[in-house]
Amino acid sequence: MSVPRARLLDLMRARCELFSTTFNPEGVRTGNKILRQKLKGPALASYYPRKVMTFRDFQKEFQPLELEVENEDEIDRLEHIAGLKSRGKGAPKKKREKDTSKKR
Amino acid sequence: MSMFRAKKLDLGCFTNIKIIRDHSKRKAFEAAEAERQALRYTIRNTTLPPRTRAIAQLQLTQMHCYTRPTQIRNRCILGGKGRGILTDFKMTRYNFRLQALAGNLPGVKKASW
Repeated sequence: MSVPRARLLDLMRARCELFSTTFNPEGVRTGNKILRQKLKGPALASYYPRKVMTFRDFQKEFQPLELEVENEDEIDRLEHIAGLKSRGKGAPKKKREKDTSKKR
Repeated sequence: MSMFRAKKLDLGCFTNIKIIRDHSKRKAFEAAEAERQALRYTIRNTTLPPRTRAIAQLQLTQMHCYTRPTQIRNRCILGGKGRGILTDFKMTRYNFRLQALAGNLPGVKKASW
């Protein structure tokens, strides 16, 4: 009860046509499995949450309504810096670009 | 590499240089993925002439390392750490514990029986 190879090949061809796969009876490596893979770039690139809105944008939204929004974190930061400056512990002023010749 | 970095910070989570770097790598990989797959296909296709395949191999190895998917590593979005990340929550195990106990993660509950 052996089936001739030609007949089996016909069956294979018909099957490939039906399911629209590549007819490749010898099993030659054509690299099609690479083409079948899904692209995973978009999924990987969306791992970290993107910035939606900054506080400045938020303030701008309310500007036409003449509503002022205070950024408490920013106020705290400025207060802290003012405190440091009053105690003489602040960051030094930026150097002027005068003595460029002295650069090492 | 700074050429892959966004000109303006586009991240809304905790940021440090490692996170920015990883994010740039992800974007670089996304941009180059089609090209990489095409080269990979050429390399694996044994019906093509060996010379073409060898050239494709060289091209793939000479692409910038930021476009390689193996460069990407999941990092904690709350602290930037690179180890002990629970992938489902994108957090380190300790941050996950803190958030879960604070009730910030819907559906997560401390087991007790």
